[in-house]
Parts: sequence; C-alpha cells; structure tokens
Amino acid sequence: METGKADRLIDIGVTLICWCYFILAFLLFFSPFYLAAARNSSPEHRFQRLNRVFYGGFFALLRRITPRQQWSIDPEIAGIRSSVVVCNHVSYLDPILLISLLGRARTIVKPLFFSVPVFGWILRRSGYFPATSSGPLAGLMLMQMETMEQFLREGGNLFIFPQGTRSRDGSIGVLDEGAFKIARYCKAPVRVLCIRNTERLFTPGKFFFFTRRPNRISVRILDTILPGRGLSELKVRVRQVLEGCTREA
Amino acid sequence: MTRDELQEKILTILVQDFEFKDPKLDDNLRDDHGFDSIDAIELLSKIEIIFGFSLTREEKEKAMEIRTITDILDYLEKIQQGRGK
Repeated sequence: METGKADRLIDIGVTLICWCYFILAFLLFFSPFYLAAARNSSPEHRFQRLNRVFYGGFFALLRRITPRQQWSIDPEIAGIRSSVVVCNHVSYLDPILLISLLGRARTIVKPLFFSVPVFGWILRRSGYFPATSSGPLAGLMLMQMETMEQFLREGGNLFIFPQGTRSRDGSIGVLDEGAFKIARYCKAPVRVLCIRNTERLFTPGKFFFFTRRPNRISVRILDTILPGRGLSELKVRVRQVLEGCTREA
Repeated sequence: MTRDELQEKILTILVQDFEFKDPKLDDNLRDDHGFDSIDAIELLSKIEIIFGFSLTREEKEKAMEIRTITDILDYLEKIQQGRGK
C-alpha cells in the first residue's frame, strides 16, 4: 500500500478511536460517576475532577496512538492555583487540553453549547458559564461570577481564551477584556500560557486528525502577572507576551 | 442618599476604578466606555458596600439591562425606595 494512503487510513483510524473514546468511555464508564456527582450537594468540584480524568484519559490515549506527535507540557502547569489563566487558542483541542492539565477550573463557554443535551448539562454542573448577561443564561453567569472570588481564593482557576475564538493563522487577534476584568475584580494573578502546534494535529475546519507529520505540541507558562495593574496595562502586557508565543512558532 | 450624592459617588467609581474618561450621564456604557456585564457585577459589589446591604439576585439581573449612567441612578433610586418601605 502506498505510504500516503496508509497515512490517510491511520488518520481515519485515530479519529474513529478518539470518537469511540468520547462516546463509549462516557456512556459505559463515566456516566454513572457523573450521575452520582450530580446528586452531591455541591457537584461543581466533582464534575471538574471527572472532566479532568475524562479528558486526561483522552489525551493519554491520543498520545499512545499518535507516536509521531511529541508532547512537552510544563510540569508547573498542574500546580497552578487561584489564578486567571489566559492562553492563545489555535485548535478545538486547546480547551479540553487545559481541562486535563489544570486542577479545579472554570471556564467561559459559548452560550450555544449550553442548549446541547447532556453536554450542556455537564457544562452547567461543572461551573462553566456563558459569555452573556442577557436571556435565560443571565442568571447562570451572575451566579458563577458572584462566587468567583471565593472559588479562586480556595484554589480554583479560571481559564479563558481572550481571543474568543480559534486563530486560523496563529496570530493574536483582538483580546477581550473579560479575563482581565475578572482578574482585577477578584484580585487574582494572571498566568499567561502558550499552546503550540495543536492545530497541526487537529486543524480548524478539518474533521480528521492529521497524525502523519512529525509534530511537537507544547504548553508552557510564559508569564505571571500579579494583581494591582490597571486594565489597559494588563491587556498590553498580555498581548506582548502572547505575541512572543506566536513569534516563536 | 440623594440622587446628586449617588451621582457623585458613581462617577468617582467609574473614573477611578473603571478608567472612564470624561463620562456623561447619557453615554452608552458599552459602546462609549466598554463597560460590560463583568464590570456591572463589579460595580454592583461596590454599590453593596456603599449602601451597606446585599442586592438580591433579581435586583442584580435587572442591573444587567442598564445602558447609561442615568439608568444606574434610576436603578439605585428604585432600590433605595424599595428598601425604605
């Protein structure tokens, strides 16, 4: 068989295995744990832990079946606590990668996803919240913001992609100020992370993983900015740091 | 607290804490000053400190519809009147 054709089949196989993991591992193994966690009086922590294990399992599997991909994850990331984590965004893999790496973590999710059956329920229970202050989800956003300061104080993290959406060319677009405002409001440090090359493995707009090309995926902490800076200054500093991440690519 | 006193306090907060430049009472908070729901939540927590009481979830949800500084003052006056009953 031609090498190109074999590689294509490998990509299809990897994609199928990943989808099987998402569906079967959830239905057969994780769903009872999620249901049990939902009965807990404060399910958020348990859901976040389950999400971390679920996506951690996904990446463990992905690493095993994609030997041409090298992974370099800064070990200090697992120790991040009580921080607002901001990061560049280049692939759908990025948010679930951060969920698998960070401990207790909340994040902001597109409002549309909250109406997806099962997935939307897990998002709510996990303490994730929509980027909207109007409509039926306004109450959820308010509730999560009211408890954000305490959540961060107790060791939780909030991660946000301030670009809002994936960058198609890796450049840093307009940064939404929401993450910086929350950091200011909660007096939390901002940790700036750089994710590289996930888009080479799972490219925006493509259905199949692209595993044939040797690739090095990395997640690094670029900077820690302590609270006390003004909003404009914070935004400029984060942009400079994230642009440094892009230049290295 | 009178409306003038409220106005003075709110304008001071908006300039000092939210980096507003030369705010006018009928400016659109979002379009003219980039004031969004997260700012609104932070402002509400400062308002709670000024008033010395907590706002209810319903009162906070109503605040999300505020568009101008005049709206903020109207909102605060209603809250004060409601608590004064």
